[in-house]
Amino acid sequence: MTPRSVHLRTHLLLLLLAALLPVAVFAAVTGHLLAQEQRETFRKGAEERTLALLTAVDADLEGVIETIQVLGQAESLASGDLAMFRLTALRVLRLHPEWSTINVARPNGERLMDLLVPEGRLLPPIQREETSFERAVATQKPVIGDLALGPTSKRWDYAVRVPIVRDGAVQYVLSAVIEPMAINHLIEEQNLPREWVGVVLDTSDRIVARTVDPEGSRGKPASQSLREALARSPSGWFRGSTIEGSPVYTPYRRSKSTGWVFAMGIPSGAVDATARGAYGALGAGLLGALALASVLALIIGRRIAEPIASLASATMAVQGGAWVAVPQTSTVAEIARFARTLQQCLDALRAREEELRNADRHKDEFLAILSHELRSPLTALTTAAHVLRTARQGDSSTAEAQGIIERQTRHMVRVTEDLLDLTRVRLGKLTLKREPMNLGELVSEVTRLRREGGLAARATVNVEVSPVWIEGDRARMEQVVSNLLDNALKFTAASGLIEVSVRRDGPSAVLRVADNGQGIPQESLAAVFQLFVQGEPGVALPQRGLGLGLALVQRLTELHGGKVSAASAGVGQGSTFTVSLPAIEPPPELRPSTPDLPRQDRESVP
Amino acid sequence: MIILCEDDADQRLALRLALELAGYSVREAANGHEALSLQREQPASFLITDLYMPEADGFELMNELQKEFPATKIIVISAGGSKRSSNVLASARLIGADAALQKPFKVTELLETLEALKNR
Repeated sequence: MTPRSVHLRTHLLLLLLAALLPVAVFAAVTGHLLAQEQRETFRKGAEERTLALLTAVDADLEGVIETIQVLGQAESLASGDLAMFRLTALRVLRLHPEWSTINVARPNGERLMDLLVPEGRLLPPIQREETSFERAVATQKPVIGDLALGPTSKRWDYAVRVPIVRDGAVQYVLSAVIEPMAINHLIEEQNLPREWVGVVLDTSDRIVARTVDPEGSRGKPASQSLREALARSPSGWFRGSTIEGSPVYTPYRRSKSTGWVFAMGIPSGAVDATARGAYGALGAGLLGALALASVLALIIGRRIAEPIASLASATMAVQGGAWVAVPQTSTVAEIARFARTLQQCLDALRAREEELRNADRHKDEFLAILSHELRSPLTALTTAAHVLRTARQGDSSTAEAQGIIERQTRHMVRVTEDLLDLTRVRLGKLTLKREPMNLGELVSEVTRLRREGGLAARATVNVEVSPVWIEGDRARMEQVVSNLLDNALKFTAASGLIEVSVRRDGPSAVLRVADNGQGIPQESLAAVFQLFVQGEPGVALPQRGLGLGLALVQRLTELHGGKVSAASAGVGQGSTFTVSLPAIEPPPELRPSTPDLPRQDRESVP
Repeated sequence: MIILCEDDADQRLALRLALELAGYSVREAANGHEALSLQREQPASFLITDLYMPEADGFELMNELQKEFPATKIIVISAGGSKRSSNVLASARLIGADAALQKPFKVTELLETLEALKNR
């Protein structure tokens, strides 16, 4: 199945999601832990504050106990002088405005004195709050009574009872009845946040003081959730609601010494907000990272995708036949390298196309030349045939026509052979039959045959040869010499001079064919041995001759391990072709007894 | 009388023989200069010329001849006419050749052309 191809930016987005997902999970876990820790820290702070407040309440109550204990030590009380004691108690009462009264009772509940009741008036026995009174008597220890509604004052207050013990027995119980406003002031002094609720409960969980609605709530039982929590544990932290029903987190603690409770109601919103803040910061950070990464992914994606797209369209254009420059600018190194490679590839392709086109053009030219080259001898042949047909027997024109036919047939045979040989060389099918041979002798022979054949009838040919031996294929070397000679003849005027020489130059046998003919332009020198290239394009075709000859000379020379070069001083300055072949020593049986002098051979044909 | 201008010796020889057999008197030239000298020596009725030759080609020759000897008829023979130079004969006619033949041609064709021009 072919994988579905999607945009690069999709890949990048997937990559970034894959990278961010674990981060998100980690962040969520961390955030949760952080929020929990913050809540925990908050809780600890709140609990410490609760403890501090409870301690303050305890201290206040203990202060009351101490004050009463000190009053209980009064001499007047010990001596039973209640009138005197009354005066002392009154002074103490005046110092404590929140105290409503001080009273003295016997352990059996008989009230002996109450500062609220004038001296001498009959007093009812202690009725209310019996439990605290009984406890004080029973334990012989100070007791803080629960909140109670005063029977006459109709106000909520509480009693602090201190037993006065003499000789191991409770002699009196001295009580101070106190209004809870003092406790209220105490917790208000703590400056709790305005939304927070601070509450003080007595041992039976009734509200003594409360920062919110102190008058309305006094004496009421605490909220159900708080009472339930107190039943479970003397201190703690829970989530519940106030008596008004608002959701709150509540730290609470019951005093071990007094049995009273301090609790706070902290709006749950305030607590949760801290956690929400932590979550929010994390979420915002995560979203920010996601957005930033997405934008970067799009930008990077575009940076990669755009050059690739333009490379693709450049390639498409090339496919359509247009040569466009491949865009080379990319900030991505790999793409830049790809673009460079593609450009090189296209350049090579273009060069190859150009080469092919040139080769094609040369082939066309070659066909034109070949056709011309065949038409000329054909004209001579058909005309000669006409002469033979029309002339009378024995007429001199018959013999001349026969000569024409022989020469032109030979010429055509050679053109055909050259063509075939070139093809063989190109296909690597030409094998040399090499044997020691005298190059000088061969050159003399070829020039002699040319003269006899009448083909060298246009210029003066000077021949100067030394007997130099090479390892060569006689027939092929003859082609080399013939072609160079014919080429020189073709491009030299009737009055021209052709010089042919063979000599030994160090390890080489050097054949040189020089003419003073039309020469070769400097820029064409390198190309003269190429197949299908003939001289200057401006020059008319027939004068350029057939390029087969020189191409074959080069191939055959190379097959013999030699080199051929062309030189010319320029147009009209003649040309010189030089063939260098590895020379060998002459075979012993053919070595001349006397040194062979260079043979001079000069013949001028008008 | 005909002046035959052709650089290839064998073609020139064969054409001279054929034309002489047909009863014409022929003088040979290997290039344009030679042909012009011959014409100036003794004007001929016909010039048969190749186009591409070393030293003064057929085009130059025709140019001179038309200026000096407007009465002489010109027949161009050329091997040009391959794919790349098919317009050679046509351009020869354009610049004033009376007839143009592409090599190789039949001798009878050349003779017929001469007859036709003679009667014009």
